[in-house]
Amino acid sequence: MGIETLIAGMPGTVAQGIIYGIMALGIYITFKLLNFADLSVDGSFATGGAVAAMVIISGHSWVLALVLALIAGALAGLITGVLHTVLGIPDILAGILTQLALYSINLRIAKNQPNTPISVDKYNLAVSLRYKTDALMTVFVIAVIIIAIMYWFFGTEMGSALRATGTNPAMAKAQGINVNVMKALGLVVSNSLVAFAGALFAQFNGNADVNMGRGAIVIGLASIIIGDVLCNAFFKKKSTFWLALGFVIVGGILYYIFIAFVLWLKMPANDMKLFTAIIVAIFLAVPYLKNKMNSSFFKAAKRGGKR
Amino acid sequence: MKKKILASVLASVMVLSMVGCGTDAAAQKEAETATTTETTEETTEDANQTYNVGVIQLVQHPALDTATEGFSDALKEKLGDQVEINVQNASGDTATCATIANSFVSDNVDLIMANATPAMQASSTATNSIPIVATSITDYGTALGIKDWEGTTGINVTGTSDLAPLDGQAEMLNELFPDAKEVGIIYCSGEDNSLYQANQITTYLEEYGYNVTAYTFSDSADVATVVQTACGESDVLYVPTDNVAASCAETINNVALTAGVPIIAGEEGICKGCGIATLSISYYDIGYAAGLMAYEILVNGQDPATYEIQYATDFTKEYNPVIAEELGIELPDDYVAIEMEEEAE
Repeated sequence: MGIETLIAGMPGTVAQGIIYGIMALGIYITFKLLNFADLSVDGSFATGGAVAAMVIISGHSWVLALVLALIAGALAGLITGVLHTVLGIPDILAGILTQLALYSINLRIAKNQPNTPISVDKYNLAVSLRYKTDALMTVFVIAVIIIAIMYWFFGTEMGSALRATGTNPAMAKAQGINVNVMKALGLVVSNSLVAFAGALFAQFNGNADVNMGRGAIVIGLASIIIGDVLCNAFFKKKSTFWLALGFVIVGGILYYIFIAFVLWLKMPANDMKLFTAIIVAIFLAVPYLKNKMNSSFFKAAKRGGKR
Repeated sequence: MKKKILASVLASVMVLSMVGCGTDAAAQKEAETATTTETTEETTEDANQTYNVGVIQLVQHPALDTATEGFSDALKEKLGDQVEINVQNASGDTATCATIANSFVSDNVDLIMANATPAMQASSTATNSIPIVATSITDYGTALGIKDWEGTTGINVTGTSDLAPLDGQAEMLNELFPDAKEVGIIYCSGEDNSLYQANQITTYLEEYGYNVTAYTFSDSADVATVVQTACGESDVLYVPTDNVAASCAETINNVALTAGVPIIAGEEGICKGCGIATLSISYYDIGYAAGLMAYEILVNGQDPATYEIQYATDFTKEYNPVIAEELGIELPDDYVAIEMEEEAE
């Protein structure tokens, strides 16, 4: 396969990247804004897929599928929120517990079928790998709408309170913000976006699999960090919130371009994940090391100053 | 501010140009496909025609690996240098299956071989024109969501099934353990194929008068506990063709052997690890059969939509000599001992 194959496959790869970018936007809320490591994502991504598949095969439209997936994700986020705020379970553990529970719940949603096929030949789907250019357009528009809504929401009083909670919980509390409600709200919004992306991906890929969320958090975090690095590289300190959100999507796209590239290089299958990890790690390490070189200590050392 | 506007304009131009490329390339490819199909029909004997075949395998796994090997061997025997096989492995990630399927479609391969269910679903989503030959799929009806299943898919998908002879396996269990009452079936709740097999064999086993209970685990972490419970409540265990069970055979063996509960396994690999006997299919054979089907489609113009799904025909009654000895169970003469290379050393 020549380079033209890689390029011809781009619309599909980019569409897939945007879908995972939308998921990463959800993770962005908990990870970046709330400073909350939420691992329920691996479960709620599959929840979104399972709900969407069941709604679609029972003959309803993809619009309802996406809406119900969003609601299901919100409920999943609420569980983590309650576990953490009401029952006082540490954030990582609360997420893991929800993820664990969601495995069984997802199987129940899918009527105990671990894999539900949703063929584009039989159902009217929002997006499909079959029609990748259309899919690319659709997910691009959806991503723009989501970024617009997020930009608006985090500018409102409630959104600002949520951000304040993440930045400095003690200060937020002193300002009369109900920190627990804000955390729960963040988790609800985050997981509803994640499940929404899961619902999109199930349609894109043609099946909802109970294992489809495995490793989703890693892809999400990688997208956020890659996007962050690029955003800083291009815009330095002048970056705005909507740009930061946009670059999360760019991070998702790049992540899948890496995957397609690694596959295109025909790496031995057993080394594939290693190479993906190395590429992402290089991406993360270079700006850090560059930063370090610019630090005054490093410069001082270089000038031969005393330690 | 100017810079920002410039950047966003540039970004959108980039996206749009990518979209543009995609459409052009797709249209061009479609035109090419049309011409190639015509030429295939006309010049079947053309020795210069080379076929480009893409293989998507879901995960590195002994059974799936041998199926891919069988497929490649069959095609290479038939076509020699006329075929180029590009094997890609998704390393267990369904999202990567989509990426691979996408690249094969962009490359406009002549045929896609999909090894395991999610690989087949991703490929059939990616294309409705390139023929797909699948293997290691237990039930195509379930995997494709076809309600009235009659042996053909009606779309661009065909292939071979890895369905073990479940009636034969139930019969085997009855032949070896006629006095047992409680049969436990252990499998992973995340695997569609296992659920299908468990449901099927439950019906057969109940006909023989057994009480059948299913015990499921969600991943390798809870295998030991689940098998422990199953051993406590069952006289015999049955393990279907299941990926997690296959990779945890040693764990299952450690629990079941100590408890003295014999296991009938769905395939040779699992039997080697923890079973006492199996009526097994060969994954190499079903891969090989899929390769022959691919040849028929590529060279002789068979239509995958009407090409019937093929099932394994050769089954061998095998037993695990090491475990049989430890449990003190004598097996009838028509059982072949599985070669236990590792233990022999």
